[in-house]
Amino acid sequence: MTGEFLAFFILSLLTIGGAVFMISFTRVVHMVISLGITFISIAGLFVLLGAEFVGVAQVLVYSGAISILMLFGIMLTKHNASDEGTGRSWKNIFSLVFVAGLFGLMFWGIQKTVWTAPPEGAAAQTASVKQLGVEIFTKYVIPFELVSVLLLVALVGAIIMAKKEGDSE
Amino acid sequence: MSDLLQQTPSWGTALWFALAAVALLLVVLGFVTYAIYFERKVIGWMQLRIGPNRVGPLGLLQTVADVAKLLLKEDTRPQHADKALFTLAPILAYAPAFGVLAVMPFTDSIRFADLGIGLLYYIALSGITVLGVITAGWASNNKYSLIGGLRSAAQMISYEVPLVMSVVGVVLMTGSMNLRDIVLAQQDVWNIVPQFLGFAVFIVAAQAELNRTPFDLPEAESELVAGYHVEYSGFRFAMFMLAEYVYMFGMGALVTILFLGGWLPIHPSLSFIPGIVWFVLKFSLYVFFQFWVRATFPRLRVDQLMSFAWKVLLPLALLNILLTAVVISFQNGMFS
Repeated sequence: MTGEFLAFFILSLLTIGGAVFMISFTRVVHMVISLGITFISIAGLFVLLGAEFVGVAQVLVYSGAISILMLFGIMLTKHNASDEGTGRSWKNIFSLVFVAGLFGLMFWGIQKTVWTAPPEGAAAQTASVKQLGVEIFTKYVIPFELVSVLLLVALVGAIIMAKKEGDSE
Repeated sequence: MSDLLQQTPSWGTALWFALAAVALLLVVLGFVTYAIYFERKVIGWMQLRIGPNRVGPLGLLQTVADVAKLLLKEDTRPQHADKALFTLAPILAYAPAFGVLAVMPFTDSIRFADLGIGLLYYIALSGITVLGVITAGWASNNKYSLIGGLRSAAQMISYEVPLVMSVVGVVLMTGSMNLRDIVLAQQDVWNIVPQFLGFAVFIVAAQAELNRTPFDLPEAESELVAGYHVEYSGFRFAMFMLAEYVYMFGMGALVTILFLGGWLPIHPSLSFIPGIVWFVLKFSLYVFFQFWVRATFPRLRVDQLMSFAWKVLLPLALLNILLTAVVISFQNGMFS
């Protein structure tokens, strides 16, 4: 029992537990908090894998995102509003079959994959922020720019949609 | 400490970690106790009053008495509050405040974790506190606390952007996000001189992140009673107050490290004075600045708050990044 294994066990438990509670809670603020626990635990898993920068970026991005989500949840629902759920129907059985199928497929895929051993020295040294930056702005500069353009388009689109609704009133 | 982190975990090392954390906690609690005393005294003098002077010699035990009163108080909870989240919120607000101190290098030897991305770690973790504040505002089931929570979320998320942007200049000059490297790069001249614009933006944005005057809208007493912690009393209220002052500790340490040269002396000939003394001196200067601002500035209006962040601070921070990048490229001979 190494410390790494213990940390992995706790973090993965929190990740899965947060996700399960996210689905089973009925009030929107509770859901958002459990989603937040999932995201923060995923950040912990990244740190455990030696990707400190990705882990911290995960917290940086998602803590803001969760706060905003919670604000909208508070503003757009009543204080005592709770999700009643759809009840027992054929939909539940269908989704169970679908999820079980997806799980089986992924489990099979993971089991079948032959993991190549990491090259010598790669496991020992974790990528520094400088290396990441150099890689992004040289080798992966086109995907990076494309992603930023995509985000910009989404931002402009959101503003246009909001403005249209504002004008019509 | 760094050697301990490399060892295989055992009960012995776990005990050492726990002891180190408790020692830091005690230092922080001592700081908070006397920061509050100092704050009341300084503001009192600035307003031509005496300040606390009854409990103990010179009133030195005033905060101790206040804290004892808080802890002995009945722990009330509104009947229609959300029980679980009402309990969770102070923890969510306080835990990151203490967590950010883990990367602070107080001197070359007194430090805990030597993280490669210490600066980002601080900023990312401090964002989690917003979640605790909104949760507190919502779970109390009170309109004032909800408004306080919403204001706090809008403010802290907006001001995080200029805060991050203003330190990019420092990171560019150092070439590292490690706080220790940032201090060591200031051997010749402190960052406050070449990065004065960044420093100014950072100080203002930090004030807003700390929810202190002139940006204390989330707990504006005259409009919102006490903001997001209106329904809290006793121990839980103490947790929120503690989180606020521990953030002040963290921000003071961060300003000292980023812009004021950390534990480095003013002049190399003064290096016989130990580094921790220099650190505490610079740190106290920042803390005094906080109280000074609180005693003299009026509060911003809500509608001025957001436009100030996005239309003044952010363009200034971007200009600072551009200038720094141009100067560094020039020094590296990119234009010749």
